[in-house]
Amino acid sequence: PVDTPGFTKAFSCSACHGSAGAARADAVPILAGMPAWYLKKAIDDYASGRRPSPEMEPFSKMVTTLGVDDVAAYFATQKREASPIKLDRAAIASGRTAATQCAGCHGQDGRGDQAKGTPPLAGQPAGYLLNQMKLFKADKRSPGDANLTALKALMKGVDDPTLANLAAYYASLGR
Amino acid sequence: ASTGGAPTTTSTPGDLAPNRSGRRVIVIGGGWGGATAAKYVRMQDPAIEVVLLEPNDKFISCPFSNLVVSGVRSIESLTFGYDGLRKQHGVKIMRESATAIEPDAHRVRLARGFLTYDRLIVAPGIDFQTEQIEGLAAAGDRVLHAWKAGPQTVALAQQLKEMPDDGVFVLSVPPAAYRCPPGPYERACQVAWYLKTRKPRAKLIVLDANQNVISKPALFRAAWQAYPNLEYRASNKVVKVDAAARELTTEFGDKVRYDVANVIPPQRAAAIAVQADLVGVDKRWCEVNHVTYESVKAKDVHVVGDSTIGIPVPKSGTVANSMGKIAATAVVNLLNGRPAPEMPPINTCYSWVSDTEVMAVINAYRIDSGKVVQIEQKLTPGQSALYAHHAEAWATSIWADILA
Ligand SMILES: Cc1cc2nc3c(=O)[nH]c(=O)nc-3n(C[C@H](O)[C@H](O)[C@H](O)COP(=O)(O)OP(=O)(O)OC[C@H]3O[C@@H](n4cnc5c(N)ncnc54)[C@H](O)[C@@H]3O)c2cc1C
Ligand code: HEC
Ligand code: HEC
Repeated sequence: PVDTPGFTKAFSCSACHGSAGAARADAVPILAGMPAWYLKKAIDDYASGRRPSPEMEPFSKMVTTLGVDDVAAYFATQKREASPIKLDRAAIASGRTAATQCAGCHGQDGRGDQAKGTPPLAGQPAGYLLNQMKLFKADKRSPGDANLTALKALMKGVDDPTLANLAAYYASLGR
Repeated sequence: ASTGGAPTTTSTPGDLAPNRSGRRVIVIGGGWGGATAAKYVRMQDPAIEVVLLEPNDKFISCPFSNLVVSGVRSIESLTFGYDGLRKQHGVKIMRESATAIEPDAHRVRLARGFLTYDRLIVAPGIDFQTEQIEGLAAAGDRVLHAWKAGPQTVALAQQLKEMPDDGVFVLSVPPAAYRCPPGPYERACQVAWYLKTRKPRAKLIVLDANQNVISKPALFRAAWQAYPNLEYRASNKVVKVDAAARELTTEFGDKVRYDVANVIPPQRAAAIAVQADLVGVDKRWCEVNHVTYESVKAKDVHVVGDSTIGIPVPKSGTVANSMGKIAATAVVNLLNGRPAPEMPPINTCYSWVSDTEVMAVINAYRIDSGKVVQIEQKLTPGQSALYAHHAEAWATSIWADILA
């Protein structure tokens, strides 16, 4: 819907996140269909510098001045279409097996769970997911955040090829 | 509206689309700003007729074109058609140049007649002040700028390839303001990378009219550590080209011999904006309202992209795209009797420092008392392959945002 206040406040994001948040590239997350609570938390984490990103820190400060609620509501109501980036079948299969250790927090189908603070992983581009896992593993995403201790401890125990398989598996969901 | 084609011999130039019932917006220039604006007017109000005037049948991206110079990318990978605008968004595209603007009559002149508009969006980019460098016009195709992506980009890549193995490539950077502040330094990286990998005995000399690298200086100087073949000379404005002797002269009279000279001339808003007197006293750039992008000099005429000045943003593709959206929104609202919402632009410039690594500058803004002010500028902490992936994502997204 182009006549919502969110449309104008969110249209600068399409320079990187695709039309209406439907990113088609591998390195940036899809915003379409992102729960409003999670997008707001992410914007808050970036704006405060807790989650370091040279791109998203300035833009999150901008979103805060424009009104994050309109922006979050706009993306939450866009339909998510899974990333179209090609995936390796064998990687998906291995990832499915490894994902049992994630389901407790992220749900069986990677749909996410607000009560546990987890966003949906399903359909996000594998390149973005893999990079985030590596950032968690190296404690570079939200470094020192006490709420993420369990997640980061878990990631440290998973080797990089398995992380790549997990990324492929979650990216494949919802296609 | 017609689709252009062979010029006809109409004896009485007249209205090319006289039977107009609804409101019409004309956009001059189908580049980063204009094509975006055309699409976003139609997206937000399909009842408005949008006519886009653009002489080229293809859109060729300047961003990433420095990678064509170094042979890392092909020009085809940066070339796109206008079918998306036409078919998905119902933009009427005429393959023609605007020859004059008549703001009082609300008319744009073309070679064969004129078109009327309710509001006009002017996005013609830049032109070169070739006359400011003696001998440059006479040098013709021997001395290229490659500062509008297209045949010159491909020709410069060829000159680089054919340069002697121990040759000297000289890159001349114009005084600010010019299109894409980091662009010349990114080109220096690409040329130096090419020479290092293909012609290790050759050398690159950068003659900069400015006192220092004017964008991301610390990041570029760090990147240049990898290129001992690159010699940077600040405050070296090129004033003369002698194509026969293959020699450039700086304003202090220093002579620099070259095998390939890439002279990026000083710039101003494109000719149509200058002729229509949308430019300021400097006769170079167009001042606009920070919220609507309406020209301070002509009513119902909006200007976006590199032609503008006075908003504290760089002349970048990201900014032109952003301005295109904001101006389109202003135009749609104003034509519907509503005030234009206050929207700040954004900026990001990714620069390729080798074939695989990128660094970037990011700027966020807000509107304060009707003026654009910067919230923050951030640099990437360094160069990396990860930022190269971000750059690719940006390019994929923004090209689609402009044209799909
Ligand atoms: C080498 C290089 C690298 C760059 N890299 C980046 C980058 O990485 N990131 C970034 O953000 N920016 C980059 N830029 C800058 C970017 O290309 C420009 O800022 C952007 O193109 C400006 O958009 P514009 O719409 O003002 O002009 P343009 O995109 O140039 O569009 C102007 C259009 O108007 C048309 N036109 C002109 N006169 C008329 C007329 N009379 N009638 C009809 N049509 C007309 C032209 O044919 C042209 O298509 C780079 C530029 C260069 C040269
Ligand atoms: C210049 C590119 C660029 C622009 C423009 C941009 N983003 Fe981002 N965005 C990124 C990158 C890169 C990331 C991944 C950063 C990281 O690693 O944390 C990201 C991540 C995000 C995330 C995190 C999502 C998640 O799953 O955790 C959100 C939310 C987001 N962006 C929202 C926005 C909004 C809203 C806008 C517009 C106001 C915007 N972005 C504009 C590049 C951009
Ligand atoms: C103990 C709970 C928990 C477990 C177990 C867990 N996660 Fe998470 N995960 C989280 C939380 C909480 C977040 C949100 C972090 C934030 O808000 O920044 C998250 C975020 C993520 C993200 C970032 C998503 C985005 O959009 O940026 C990825 C990727 C991810 N998890 C993958 C996994 C994988 C793969 C596993 C299993 C190997 C896993 N997680 C196990 C709690 C968990």
